[in-house]
Amino acid sequence: MSTTSTRTLATRALRADGVRPAWQRALVSIAYFVIPIAAILGIWQLVVVLSPPAPFFPAPFAIIGNLWELLFGSDKAVQQVFVGEFLQTVGRMALGFALGAIWGVIIGTVMGLSRGTRETINPIVEFLRSIPATATLPLFIILLGGGDDMRVAFIAYGVSWFVVINTAQGVGSIHKTMLDLGKVFRVSPARRLFAIILPAAMPKIFAGLRIASTAALLLAIVSEFMLASNGIGYMLVQAQGRFQLLNMWSWMLALAILGLIINSLLEFIEGKVLAWHRLSRQRT
Amino acid sequence: MTETTTTTAAVRVDHVSHTYGSGPSAHHAISDLNFSVQPGEFVSIVGPSGAGKTTLLRTLAGLLKPSEGAVWVDGKKNNGVPPGMAMVFQDYSRSLLPWLTVEKNVGFPLAESKTPKAERKAIVAESLEAVGLAGFGKRYPWQLSGGMQQRVAIARALAYRPSLMLMDEPFASVDAQTREGLEDLVLKIRDTYGMTILFVTHDIDESVYLANRVLVLSRPPAHIVEDIRVDLPEPRDQITTRENPDFIHLRGHVARLIHGGGETK
Repeated sequence: MSTTSTRTLATRALRADGVRPAWQRALVSIAYFVIPIAAILGIWQLVVVLSPPAPFFPAPFAIIGNLWELLFGSDKAVQQVFVGEFLQTVGRMALGFALGAIWGVIIGTVMGLSRGTRETINPIVEFLRSIPATATLPLFIILLGGGDDMRVAFIAYGVSWFVVINTAQGVGSIHKTMLDLGKVFRVSPARRLFAIILPAAMPKIFAGLRIASTAALLLAIVSEFMLASNGIGYMLVQAQGRFQLLNMWSWMLALAILGLIINSLLEFIEGKVLAWHRLSRQRT
Repeated sequence: MTETTTTTAAVRVDHVSHTYGSGPSAHHAISDLNFSVQPGEFVSIVGPSGAGKTTLLRTLAGLLKPSEGAVWVDGKKNNGVPPGMAMVFQDYSRSLLPWLTVEKNVGFPLAESKTPKAERKAIVAESLEAVGLAGFGKRYPWQLSGGMQQRVAIARALAYRPSLMLMDEPFASVDAQTREGLEDLVLKIRDTYGMTILFVTHDIDESVYLANRVLVLSRPPAHIVEDIRVDLPEPRDQITTRENPDFIHLRGHVARLIHGGGETK
C-alpha cells in the first residue's frame, strides 16, 4: 500500500536525521545532570575552605561523608540508623502514598464518570483541598493519637487530593466514541472500567501520582516533626535541638536523594506503562 | 408496515421521533421515521448535514432511547444495545484503543465470549486477513495510516460476527483513493459474511455506489424524503458502475433531493 511506504520512509528519515545512538544520548543526559551539581558543590566547597569558619554551613564533602557514616558507618549501632530512621520514613510514606492513591483513584473515577456526582462532590473537594494538608496534622493527632497509623492516614489524606483531581479530569475527558465502543460491543461494566476507562485516563492519573509522590515525602517529614520517636523528620528536629548542624545537613541531603530516587522510580514505571501514550503522540 | 411476510426484518423502525432537551430550546432531531431493512440488504442513509443521521444511527444501535416509537432488531424490541450488532465509528483514532496492539483491538469484543482461546485467535487472524491486514497484528493502531486504522475497526466488527453492521460515516476522514479501496472492501465483506449493513454517509456518490437502497433524510426534524431502490449490476466496480447511466441518473436524483433541503420531490 502506498500510504505504508511513505510512512516508513518518513520514519526512517526522522531516525537518520536527529537521533543519536542510545549510549550517546544517555551520556549527554548524565552530563546535563552531573555538571551543574559538580559546579555548585565545587563553588560551595571552595567558599567554605577560603572563608572564616561558618558553623551553620558545613562543607559539602563533610556533609556527604557524615551522611555515609550515619547510614552505613562501620559501627553496628550507627548502621541501625538506616533501618531505624531512614526506612521508617520510607515505609510510612510508601504506605500513605499507596492508600491515598487507591482512594484517590476510586473517588476520582466516581466523579469523572457521573456529571451529577461531580457537581455534587466538587464543592466539597474544592473546599477541603484548600485547607493546606499540613494544617490538618493537629486534627489527625487528636483523632488518631501519635502513632504510625495517624501518620499514614495523614499522608494518605494529603496525597489523595492530587490523585482525585487528576483522575476525575482524566476519566471525565474520555472521548464519547471510546465509551460508546464499550457499550456497542456489549462489554461488561467492570471490563469497560478496567479495560477502557482507566487505561484511557492513565496519562492524567500518572500526572497526579507524580505530584502526589512529592507531597507524600513532604507530609511524611512534617508528620515526624510532632510526637514521633523515629524517622528522618524526627532526626532533623533532634539535630536542630542539639545544634548538630552537620547531622541536620546530612538528613536534608538524605531527603534530596530520597526524592530523586522516588521521582526516577515513578518516571521509570510511567515509561513502561505509558509507552503507548508517549509513542502515539510522537506520531501525530 | 403490515406483517405479512414470514421473514423477520433485520431492522424495523417504528414511528421513531427524538427530541433533545425541552421547552423553547428543544431540538427536534428526527420525526416519525418508519422503515424496515431486510436481512442481507445494504442500505445507505444520506441527508443534508445536521439532518439527524447520527441521532438515527445511535437510536438504531440502542445507544439512545428515542423519545417516541421503537426500534426492532431481528424481531426483538431494542432495550439497550442489541446482540449481534457491530458498529464502525467515523473517528477511528478514538474508536481503537491505542494501548492495545492491532490484534488485541480486533479481539477486544471477544474476550468475554465463551469461545475457546485458540478459536478466538483464529477469528482474529481471519478478520485481519479479510481486511487485508494479515501480518499487522503486532503493530499498534497509531503506527498505521488512517485507512489502515479504519480497516482494523472493520476487522474488529467482523470478529464480533455480527448479523447487522452499522457504519457511521466511516470513510469521511480518509483520502479519496483509500476511500475507494475501503468501499470495495465493505462490499466484498458483505458478500462473504452475508450481513445486513446500514451505512450513514454525507457522500452522495458513495451512498449510491454501495447500496441496494438509499434513504434520503430531510433537514431536521428529519423524515424520509424518499426511499430509493438501487438496481445497479453486481458486483459494483469503481469505474464501470460510476459510468453507468443509471448510476449517474440516481446520484443526480439524490443530489437534487438533498440540495432542495429534502423538500422537493
